[in-house]
Amino acid sequence: MSTYPTILDTQPEAANEPGHGREGSFGPTLVPPARPLASVSTLNPEQPLARPEETVTVGVPPVRTIVVDRAPVPVAPPAARESIRLSSAPGPERLTLEQVSVSYGPKQAVNSVSLPIHQGEVLALIGPSGCGKTTLLRTLNRLTELTPSSARSGRVLIDGEDVDGMPDTRLRARVAMVFQQPNPFPMSIFDNVAFALREQSRKRPNRRALEPQVIDALKRAALYDEVCDDLSRPALRLSGGQQQRLCIARAIALRPEVLLLDEPCSALDPISTGVIEDLIHELRRDLAVVIVTHNLAQARRVADKVAFMYMGDLIEYGTTQQVFEEPRATRTRDYVQGAFG
Amino acid sequence: MLDWLRRPWSDRRAERLLGAAALLPCIGVAAMIAFVAVQAWPTFAHNGLSWLGPGGNVDTQLGRMVTEPHPTAADYHLRAWPLLYGTLLITGIALILALPTALLSSIFIVEFAPKAVRRVMIPVVRLLAAVPSVLYGLLGALVLAPFVHDNIISASEIASHARKVQLTGEGVGLTAVVLALMITPIMVALISDALSGVPNSWREGAAALGVHKLRATLAVSLRAIRPAIVAATALACARALGEAVMVELVSGGRAYAPNLAEGPVALLEPARSLASAIISNNEELFGAPAVKSSLYAFALLLLFSAVALSVAAYLIKLPLRKYQVKG
Repeated sequence: MSTYPTILDTQPEAANEPGHGREGSFGPTLVPPARPLASVSTLNPEQPLARPEETVTVGVPPVRTIVVDRAPVPVAPPAARESIRLSSAPGPERLTLEQVSVSYGPKQAVNSVSLPIHQGEVLALIGPSGCGKTTLLRTLNRLTELTPSSARSGRVLIDGEDVDGMPDTRLRARVAMVFQQPNPFPMSIFDNVAFALREQSRKRPNRRALEPQVIDALKRAALYDEVCDDLSRPALRLSGGQQQRLCIARAIALRPEVLLLDEPCSALDPISTGVIEDLIHELRRDLAVVIVTHNLAQARRVADKVAFMYMGDLIEYGTTQQVFEEPRATRTRDYVQGAFG
Repeated sequence: MLDWLRRPWSDRRAERLLGAAALLPCIGVAAMIAFVAVQAWPTFAHNGLSWLGPGGNVDTQLGRMVTEPHPTAADYHLRAWPLLYGTLLITGIALILALPTALLSSIFIVEFAPKAVRRVMIPVVRLLAAVPSVLYGLLGALVLAPFVHDNIISASEIASHARKVQLTGEGVGLTAVVLALMITPIMVALISDALSGVPNSWREGAAALGVHKLRATLAVSLRAIRPAIVAATALACARALGEAVMVELVSGGRAYAPNLAEGPVALLEPARSLASAIISNNEELFGAPAVKSSLYAFALLLLFSAVALSVAAYLIKLPLRKYQVKG
């Protein structure tokens, strides 16, 4: 042990060992790291780790399990859910579409679609992007008329009455709509829900007169418990899921007969989505609900009837079970099995 | 040296340079206020708060100040109320006329006008906002004032006013109308910009609730842009307060306080604003130190009103922010 080179030449293995370095006999060049690291041990694959648990824990933060989703909630078996469905027998026919076609300029968006929409059931419109499902939805409350280039043919009946014969404001009070992006107005929670009530009434009612209706709408939208402490809070400070439920509350405050939902959960996280899906289940008792969704699993969870659209055509319409499990058309089968989308 | 400039600048160096540039206007404003305040001090010191009070025609008072290089306390005597009153009256009436007009035309341009009309109207409004004010003054003095004199003022009104003041057609009402014409385009430009920034989803959301377009615009869009409306009004008000040339040409140029209690005829009487009083004095008067100090006092008041406007606009906007989108 006279000089460094000889030692390093004769005992390279020993020089690399952590135990030797700790004694300090080799000078500064060979001082090992103060704490044992995993990398040091792996330099010597033959030598087993002296205290493996220490090598992992000291100096390295413990590995955390990251919770991506909430804990799994037990889902009722299909048979049980089916019985829930059957208990709410389809109600009266609210909306009827007869040979409805919509075009934007030269582009045909919806081709001669005929559909019944019943109270007490959820109809899901599914199909690939650009297949005309949102356009069809917007036809139901004549919102397509806001687009100057749009043209519609065919008839849409609400309770047997042609929607073209009534003022659009009255129609839209009966056929309410919730959009893809939550769009609460820049006012308080209360004013948001009271907005349509105030604007639709001939004489502006005061706050006290509106309060029961507003609270009822918030309760039915399953939002009241979260916001009841302060209804004058700005609506835009709510979370995304709460904003969307506020929009549903705003839409159902007028007690509409039909509720149109245009991908209401696509901007939301899984927990908020679950809350809104439960809400849709509740709401369909006194409403006809039409939901456009890209999410096939969601359509399967919430819908009673499913309509599959492709390139503007209505390809298939039936119960959820039939469309997803025994589709009649090949394209439906390919779509629900994920062959295209 | 050039090489040093060409090398990539560190953020710190950029921050120092940009900070220095941003500091310049602050220093400028502070220096200006200080200078004007020092110059205006003698007249305030000699008159006290009664400087703001009424006391006859300001023009004759200024004329009396032309004495020697060392004015006595009596020479500083000034009661500026007619100018303040004229300024407030003209600006106030102009704003009352301009604000509703600007709001309604902005709503039309953004919400109701067909696309072709909108594409023409927005550049036209911008052009109108950029027209030099002296042009309005010229048209007001040469076209509108004679029209008012010939068609609106009756002979009996001229006769009844003959002892007090001459009615020439130039007056408070006409000035306010022309001033409103001048500031409306600025307000329309700012308000329609803000209105077109309102997210479409709010319009659709309101329409889907069965609310008429006009109601939805008034209840949602206008509500959302209230801060912009306040800002536009403050800017227009600042321009109206500081407008000198046009007001001097159209208002009749008499430092006289029309009595609104007399009814509509008061709007035909002449007046003068602070800004126009500054430009209307000829050069012999500038030589007199008392006159100079008085004019700086007018300028200080205008500066102060600009500061007050900014502060007021800020305070009004503060509670309106509550319901807006954060950030």
